[in-house]
Amino acid sequence: MLSGLYQAIFVTPWAWWAGGLAIGLLVPSLYYYQNVALGVSTGYGNLLKLLWRGKKPLKWLEKDSFKDPWGWRVFFIAGMIIGAFLSARLSGRPLLTGEMGVLTSSTSWPAFFYGLILFTGGTLLGLGARIAGGCTSGHSIHGLATLQLSSLVVTIGFIVMGALSTYLVRFLLLGGVTP
Amino acid sequence: MNQKIGLLFFGIFFGFALSRVGAGEYDLIYGMFTGTNLKLAWVMITAIAIGHIGMRWLSATGNITKGGTSLKVSLKALKKTSLLGGAIFGIGWGLSGACPGTVLAQLGEGKVLGLFTAVGMIFGTFIYALLVEKYPDLSD
Repeated sequence: MLSGLYQAIFVTPWAWWAGGLAIGLLVPSLYYYQNVALGVSTGYGNLLKLLWRGKKPLKWLEKDSFKDPWGWRVFFIAGMIIGAFLSARLSGRPLLTGEMGVLTSSTSWPAFFYGLILFTGGTLLGLGARIAGGCTSGHSIHGLATLQLSSLVVTIGFIVMGALSTYLVRFLLLGGVTP
Repeated sequence: MNQKIGLLFFGIFFGFALSRVGAGEYDLIYGMFTGTNLKLAWVMITAIAIGHIGMRWLSATGNITKGGTSLKVSLKALKKTSLLGGAIFGIGWGLSGACPGTVLAQLGEGKVLGLFTAVGMIFGTFIYALLVEKYPDLSD
């Protein structure tokens, strides 16, 4: 009985409804306990400020939200990495892996090429999230849960261009593979 | 400091949930966008519904936080560039098979290639910081 419960929580991947329930509860809980809105992408601004070594400060990083570069967002981000680390350790995954799903399993390119694709994708994610004013958690979960029009518009952009770019990756780079 | 410790634990919960449901898997993002596996779409729809119900409940009980202050929902204004930002982000999502939250789950799971995505996100934020000085319309 207990080992069955342990398996269900820590070993077997969660069903969609369990993940949706846990993530959805974060929206009101973060407001109630911490009075903050769920969101991740602004935290990359904190990381940028912590890493920035230029002579001139970046004007955008001088605004109030980044006054303390070691703000709560850095702790939230660090927690997310720790949480996923615990999940991987408890379910018995390898400590480090070079896999990235069908991207790596259906091709055998040099690591540099995978890195280039992912870095390009990451750059567009960082830039797009700032122009849109949020990412999947801030807009698509928190913003839609609070019925905000801007979040609906942004999320439509996410889905349409996400589907289009995945289509291009699938047929131009991966030969139409289905996982 | 208390708030930071609290948010560290909320982050641990979020990262754990993302990883347990498979949001750190490239193939599940790929499956969602190709329509071959909609698990993560259902996760998001459920999360939105649960989040909405929770916010309704908070509002019905007077929108008071545990600390006794009044709760203010963070409002995100619709801008001329909202759709543009969403579209740029969408291309990045499809290319990398991750978003700003799930790449952190990938890192925790030991997926070393996720480092390229994460460093790219910091770089993209830097590009934004440069652009917004020239084009204040892009302001978030």
